[in-house]
Amino acid sequence: MFIPVTLSLLEGMVTTLKLFFLTLLFALPLGLVISFGSMSRFTPLRWLVQTVVWIIRGSPLMIQILIIFYGPGLIFGLPLLPRFTAALVAFAVNYACYFSEIYRGGIQSVPQGQYEAGQVLGMTKTQIFFKITLLQVVKRIVPPMGNEMITLVKDTSLVRVISVYELIWMGETYIKKGLIWPLFYTAVFYLILSGILTILLNQCEKKLDYFK
Amino acid sequence: MSILEVNHIEKHFGPTKVLNDISFSLEAGQALSIIGSSGSGKTTLLRCLNFLERPNGGTIAVNGSVIFDAADPSTQIEKDIREKRLHFGLVFQNFNLFPQYTALQNVTLARELRAKKKGGESREEILQAGLALLEQMGLADRANHYPHQLSGGQQQRVAIARALALHPDILCFDEPTSALDPELTGEVLRVIRSLAEHKTTMIIVTHEMAFARDVADQLIFMDSGVIVEQGDPKEVIDHPKEERTRQFLARYADN
Repeated sequence: MFIPVTLSLLEGMVTTLKLFFLTLLFALPLGLVISFGSMSRFTPLRWLVQTVVWIIRGSPLMIQILIIFYGPGLIFGLPLLPRFTAALVAFAVNYACYFSEIYRGGIQSVPQGQYEAGQVLGMTKTQIFFKITLLQVVKRIVPPMGNEMITLVKDTSLVRVISVYELIWMGETYIKKGLIWPLFYTAVFYLILSGILTILLNQCEKKLDYFK
Repeated sequence: MSILEVNHIEKHFGPTKVLNDISFSLEAGQALSIIGSSGSGKTTLLRCLNFLERPNGGTIAVNGSVIFDAADPSTQIEKDIREKRLHFGLVFQNFNLFPQYTALQNVTLARELRAKKKGGESREEILQAGLALLEQMGLADRANHYPHQLSGGQQQRVAIARALALHPDILCFDEPTSALDPELTGEVLRVIRSLAEHKTTMIIVTHEMAFARDVADQLIFMDSGVIVEQGDPKEVIDHPKEERTRQFLARYADN
């Protein structure tokens, strides 16, 4: 039984991984945009963005997944989004909001003097951001980002509320067949994934160790 | 013709007037020292010259042409301000070196970015010029060190090289030794002194009275946002005319 179970769990793992990487792909840049919005000097925009971040971070991700999947149909009578797409939208938006706060913390912790030093050397705002600030921000945010990414690995299991066949869903199907251990076995897959992530993030931190 | 003419500069933060009718001029090759207690507006004045703050009133002219006029918005366009900043170099109290770049990269970064945009110098020329500047600062062997591997005095000397790399008309120092341990101030002051000997036009905000007296050609004493007294440094420090200058110098002598 072990090998067929492993194979079918791996099938679930593929969906989990797809969701994980696509969420990062969209949420990492979107989070940066949101963080700029939440630091905007234009007050209405700042309030709007901060309110959205509050709502998204303040309500359960599971409810957000359900709203994005069922909401358009229930409220506007629109056709449903494909299940995976709905899940991805919910995850990307949710994680972008968390990331935006990490970015904001990172950006605001770069001393004002760094911007000023760039300015007096005649650099443009864009040059200052990309050539001076960005790497210092990245160095500061790797540890909290790592935390969020590891949370994301496990949060992917929430999408089974709209029947996306991810890892835990695959494990659960065996319960109907009278097997309980495949469900617990799924934890090993999550552990391996977060183990790999931890190693990668540590290497990232080490790479940035050359400056303080 | 003076290289720098500052006329009637005003700056307020909200209702607080930080600079009030500041006027002075500076000749090419001369060093001007500005002294005064904390909060007297010295640093704000330097920041206005470097356009890190916008004056609320007054004009700034470099080499005879007005580069900033508070009454004329056409002199305040952001894009032009960026270029106008290059008339001035600024050395900060706490260095503000870029931590992710080596000493040499700190010196060459801005010039490389400019060359990339506007053409002109080759990378090799910029590197050589950067190395020469570090050598002038006595840091040839530290070119590939990162800021955190350098002492405060070395960091400040890299910062001076960085400011010089863009050939500013006027180099400004904002209390360049205030963040340094006493035993490290000497090496930075020596560098500034040698710049003065080589006729670098400089404005030095400092608390080092003896240094200001020796090195500067002109001295300004500021208090509460106004210039109280200005003139020959030895004259002002040894024979102050104003009561406020006397009090300030007496407090200094006590410490």
